[in-house]
Amino acid sequence: MSTKPVPAVLIDHCSKWYGQVIGLNDVSLAIDGGVTGILGPNGAGKSTLFKLLMGRLKPSSGTVRLFGVDPWEDTAPYRRVGYVAETEKLYDWMTGLDFVSTLARLHGMTRDEAIERAAHVLEFVGLSDVQNKEVGKYSKGMRQRVKIAHALVHDPDLIILDEPLHGCDPIARTSIMSVIRDLGAQGKTVLVSSHILDEIERITEQIVILHNGRLLALGNLHAIRDLLDKHPHRILIRTEDPRALAGCFVPEDPVYGVRFAGEGALEILTNDLSAAHAILPRIIVESGINVTSIENPDDNLDALLGYLVGGN
Amino acid sequence: MMDKQGRSLADTVWTRLDRKAGAITELTIRQLRHRLSTWVVLGVGTLLLLTLLAMYIAGAREGWDPIDNDGDSHDWDMDGYPAGQEMKYGADPWDGMSYPGSGHFVQEGSFQNNQGAVHYGNHTWRSATGTFTYNWIDESFAGGRGVLDVDRMDDCPEGEPLEDYWMDWGDGCIIEENRIFVLESTFRGEGTFRVHQNWYAEWGNMADAYDVEPEPASNYIDEDDIDWSGDPNGINGFDDDGDCLRTDWISFEFGFDKDENDNGIPCDVVWYAASDGTIIHIDRDENVDEDPSEESLSIEDAHRAFIIASGKIAFVMILSIFLPLFLALGLVRDETENGTLHYLLSKPIHRGEFITYRILGYLIISGGFVLIMSLFMGVVTAALGPGDSIFRLTDIIVWLGIAFATILALAAYGAIFNTLGLISSRYGVYIALIIGVYEFIMAVLTLAGAELIPILSVSHWTLQFIDSIVLIVWPNTLEMSIIAEAFDLPSALAAFWNPPMHHLGTESPFISALLSVVVLLLITAAMVLFGQRQFKHREIM
Repeated sequence: MSTKPVPAVLIDHCSKWYGQVIGLNDVSLAIDGGVTGILGPNGAGKSTLFKLLMGRLKPSSGTVRLFGVDPWEDTAPYRRVGYVAETEKLYDWMTGLDFVSTLARLHGMTRDEAIERAAHVLEFVGLSDVQNKEVGKYSKGMRQRVKIAHALVHDPDLIILDEPLHGCDPIARTSIMSVIRDLGAQGKTVLVSSHILDEIERITEQIVILHNGRLLALGNLHAIRDLLDKHPHRILIRTEDPRALAGCFVPEDPVYGVRFAGEGALEILTNDLSAAHAILPRIIVESGINVTSIENPDDNLDALLGYLVGGN
Repeated sequence: MMDKQGRSLADTVWTRLDRKAGAITELTIRQLRHRLSTWVVLGVGTLLLLTLLAMYIAGAREGWDPIDNDGDSHDWDMDGYPAGQEMKYGADPWDGMSYPGSGHFVQEGSFQNNQGAVHYGNHTWRSATGTFTYNWIDESFAGGRGVLDVDRMDDCPEGEPLEDYWMDWGDGCIIEENRIFVLESTFRGEGTFRVHQNWYAEWGNMADAYDVEPEPASNYIDEDDIDWSGDPNGINGFDDDGDCLRTDWISFEFGFDKDENDNGIPCDVVWYAASDGTIIHIDRDENVDEDPSEESLSIEDAHRAFIIASGKIAFVMILSIFLPLFLALGLVRDETENGTLHYLLSKPIHRGEFITYRILGYLIISGGFVLIMSLFMGVVTAALGPGDSIFRLTDIIVWLGIAFATILALAAYGAIFNTLGLISSRYGVYIALIIGVYEFIMAVLTLAGAELIPILSVSHWTLQFIDSIVLIVWPNTLEMSIIAEAFDLPSALAAFWNPPMHHLGTESPFISALLSVVVLLLITAAMVLFGQRQFKHREIM
């Protein structure tokens, strides 16, 4: 008899209702290995999905399996799972080392083992120098990182992070992203949720998009982006002479139109965002016109969702 | 049994479980330690116990005033002799004219409702109401109630006596020089007495009078101690002060039965013992062993009553209800509300275990406090308590029993209140308060001796456990309460201690203690299981 390998996460036709409100609608998903971004606006069902995985909620229908085990009935898979909840509350009177080592002991470690492991993971998330400071005195980014540390302390195979970048400053954000990428590189299965496309893009290519409780897209972010790129797109250029610059763009191939969007702002309309961006620097340099900013207003989650929902 | 890595099963399963239990228990203790409300409730509890202890120490320093149980040290008729001495001399303790050596009154004549009748002579006048015109009155005439105090008479007011003014019985007032009005008075003098209309007076002389020195009242305190031979079949009880045995009983004791217990022996006490020798009933003749020394019984009674009352009221009825109200209600509820529960529940630990270890943590804090405080109280009472020994070790054992009972109650209430907090985070506290009041009322009923109604309460079984421990450690407590009742001794034990009620017909305090523990543990286990069931199927947002 051969044992069939089970994926870390398996969700089969799973739905979750809160009374009349739907939290997750017939989602099926199998994830194993690498970093997967769970992308969706607020209320899309990301936290519901994670709470189902962590046995906090019971699915209204369908099945949820963590390493082949139903997490609502059995806590055994938590031995292999690290979970960073969305909650911002911590035991503020504890030091970082205390917090992580106390929770590590719930994995059956001795006090000494727990302290050693806690110190190790705190170093991994970059909190070594403040590990003996009370958590209540930590900055927002430090609090997020200590939460990540507690989830990593038992060296889990699967790490679930619910909005770990939420409310962090750019430096903390970069540091947390690097930690998550490292985990992926170590061969762990990492699920990380966010409602900001750019954040996920900097962490992983493998994404799941949730919208209104439904699974909208799943796969490689770049492939999805490419689809999006073939769709009408705007590039907003702020310049001192929009009219002159517009003249330079009109003859170019990827550009099918231009629009003046208020004073000192020019909108380039294109069907191929990559091609348009490829010619952008050359035209601006050749025109000799001063440009202050270039933005892609359609290159965000809302636009992506709009496209995907429209595409459906 | 080994696993793949060659570790024993005990190493892999039990040790890990133990570590998790230790971690959650320790976390709970540290959390409680960081909460202000914990320190407030423990501080108030300490203050309450220290106040009780201060009262005990003050009582022990003041010592014990011997009590005159039969009231015969008192001079009821104010003739200068304590009632006991008067009775010994056959005098009437209620008649100021009758006292040791006063002799007896020999009547020579009287007025019988004679209107305005007059009599002249040198007499002792008794129960006289009317006007006395004298040429001599005995100002040193001894006596008490009803005897005219010649030196302290005032002038009579204007008007007719007993119409326009009134006076106390035995008193008189001066109408003019050598002329007084008296009401129901006794005095000695020579003169003319005119009896008041429709009133009475008699005259005569006191025969066989002689001088007797009044004894101090203390001679009639604790003068008739309990005489117990130790053998229920022997003759027990002796009338040390003679107020039962004497034959020339005075008139007010008419109908006095010297053998009220009908055993054919006058003035004795019958002690009934069970087959194992313990005293179960006492039947005594009146005025026998009726004023025993409190030194041996009542002081011990009061000492035990203090320990039992403190244990039952302060520890069980107050601490064991209030501590869990503050410490146990939010054990799981607060974690859920704060959102910190997510950290704990993302670990491989069953929710049921989690509840158990949380309660364990709370029990270590509250139970530790109760244990320390009871030992502290125990050391003080053991050192200051009555008796010949320097340190009463049995006190400590009873205090440990009280601590154990309180911890059992803390566990039961903790489990109940924690479950209430789980069922309803908003209304749980109100339901807990109602349960607290209910438990207090049931405890009061149990103290009053109710047997049936309070069995549906935690406090009833906790109090019964204390009653049982008291009887195990101090087996003569039951005898003490029977003796106190039989000899009318002042007893606080009776108010705070009842013989254990539920002993499955065995009368054994061990059985009642065991039964109490089993019931309390069952209540705790049932509430923990109920809480675990509630929590296990709870969705956590």
